[in-house]
Amino acid sequence: MNPTRVAIASALAAALVLPAATSQAQGNMEKCYGIAKAGKNDCQTAKSSCAGTSKKDAQADAWVSVPKGACEKIVGGKLTAG
Amino acid sequence: MLELRELQGAFAAHLKGEDRPDLTEAVVGDTISAAARLRIHRHHVGQSLVGALASTFPTVQAIVGEAFFRALAEGFILRELPAQPVLAEYGAGLPAYVSEYGPAAALPYLADMAQLDWALNLAFHAPLEDRLTASGLAGLPAERLFDLKPALAAGSTLLRSPYPIDRIWHASQPGATVGTVSLEEGPASVLILRRPDDAAFASLDTVEEIFLAALVEGSSLGEAAEAAVSVEPAVDPSRILGRLLALEAFAALQHSS
Repeated sequence: MNPTRVAIASALAAALVLPAATSQAQGNMEKCYGIAKAGKNDCQTAKSSCAGTSKKDAQADAWVSVPKGACEKIVGGKLTAG
Repeated sequence: MLELRELQGAFAAHLKGEDRPDLTEAVVGDTISAAARLRIHRHHVGQSLVGALASTFPTVQAIVGEAFFRALAEGFILRELPAQPVLAEYGAGLPAYVSEYGPAAALPYLADMAQLDWALNLAFHAPLEDRLTASGLAGLPAERLFDLKPALAAGSTLLRSPYPIDRIWHASQPGATVGTVSLEEGPASVLILRRPDDAAFASLDTVEEIFLAALVEGSSLGEAAEAAVSVEPAVDPSRILGRLLALEAFAALQHSS
């Protein structure tokens, strides 16, 4: 084992004895509760669809070309030409 | 009378908006005409798929709003119907679709947010498996630790973006307290992981990302640490490995004994 390898290997090994790193790191995670909350069952959407069943095709909102959401909060940067 | 294969093909074409007289003839019509029946079904399928995509891509929808998202999703559905019956597995192609979706061109980060949503969806539906812990490695000779190639846990994704996707995600959450995010704050690297009850992501700093990217590409722990040190000589590899172990980023080693 050359000296660099030894140094790296012992530095890695030091990670195994770091105390209580777990709770600290888990505090750095963004938990995504929204995913668990949202149903993926197609019955859910089927219900709302059937409730207002239309014999006509849904009018595609093709004219909706302006996003209106949280994007107002995101500013700056290089905008590509629209 | 259409053969089954032709009937199915005509039906798929109908779902994508084509008018198929041969299909109308194949469907019974009485108080409701065959054409109306077919339209009801097309409408229903479209509604269901838009709903499924909205629940898989909640951040994208929050950023652009419901009406815009619906138009985007309907365009995607016309191009790509599900290829299998599980709705949670539908939408793999949406990030690429977003990246070339003209009306979203002013939001260059949107495709990366779609990738983050998709990775969280993958993680959420991945099996929960045992993770590698510090105690699981204790007693391993330093030489073997150097050569070890731990695999990321199932459902994990390492995602890099030129935009601050972690902060954009925050600002897009319901009830977010974050005021504004500047795209100048980017780039960002995040590690998306399956958690016991949900999916989550952790923001990585530059050396953590270099270390993890090296592992993903097949390097050993030692080689990954060398890569990180070569970029940032002052870095302590034990801090990087310690954080990744604490995040439970790796699958438990297969026991050979």
